[in-house]
Amino acid sequence: MARSTFVYVTYIRTTPERLWSALTEDAGFMKQYWFGVHCESTWKPGSAWRMLYPDGRVIDSGAILEAEPPRRLVIRWKNHMNPEFEAEGDSLCTMELEPIEKAVKLTITHSMEREASKLIGATGFFWPQILCNLKSLVETGSVVLAEPFAIN
Amino acid sequence: MAKSTFVYTTYIRTTPDKLWSALTGQEFQKQYWFGMHCESPYTTGSPWKLVNDRGEVWDAGEIVEADPPRRLVIRWEHQMRPELRAEGASLCTMELVPAGQAVRLTITHSVEREDSKLVEAVSGGWPKILSNLKSLLETGTVAFEDPSRSKK
Repeated sequence: MARSTFVYVTYIRTTPERLWSALTEDAGFMKQYWFGVHCESTWKPGSAWRMLYPDGRVIDSGAILEAEPPRRLVIRWKNHMNPEFEAEGDSLCTMELEPIEKAVKLTITHSMEREASKLIGATGFFWPQILCNLKSLVETGSVVLAEPFAIN
Repeated sequence: MAKSTFVYTTYIRTTPDKLWSALTGQEFQKQYWFGMHCESPYTTGSPWKLVNDRGEVWDAGEIVEADPPRRLVIRWEHQMRPELRAEGASLCTMELVPAGQAVRLTITHSVEREDSKLVEAVSGGWPKILSNLKSLLETGTVAFEDPSRSKK
């Protein structure tokens, strides 16, 4: 089946446990690097997952398909804010953490079972901003982008 | 014509001038590029090569465009591994765009053939190099030292 996939790899000077926490249950930390957004979930396989704006609007929702802390997390992920993205249905987001020296290799793979997915196109724009913010916040104590960056 | 392309975007808390110097200055390159450095006057049409710490030339080519501190295009031919060398010239474009208090750096590395082994190789290399560059510019030290520890 045709597929759209975005892959991003970054190396962050931290531990897998700290990075796992930053990607999951530490909502206060997530709000700092994700422009105010945070996730709600119990982070167990089969549990519900959603991502919310500070005002409580649900941006994305789905379920945790796999959770193997601090190594691997798979989320079924559907957008609700953009009608075109919502119409595309479920995407799959896999996060893999692998220790290397004093750093962790974080690989994000976000895919959908359709060609030229608009959602995957958009995630390809946002993931680098979020993950660069996360890396800067973990390594320096402050984010690199205070606001989402948009060309023109 | 069929094409293989790798694109990587990172946001680094620095200025375009400092980032341009970091991308073109030998002593700085050696810190984040695992001992490698580039030799070139970085003017349009001038030769360019990527050399390891033993003086072996890994890649060679020329500067196709140089517009400091905004855009650098390198014609890039691998020299060491026969199967990569056989693919001929690739094109590496580096674009720097101011983004708030940061700079957005986008690397686009492509070869005019399907399933390029060179593009596959640089897809593994660029995230390591650019993660180190971001850490070095933001914190003064790289994220990790030994690329062989992360070969996959």
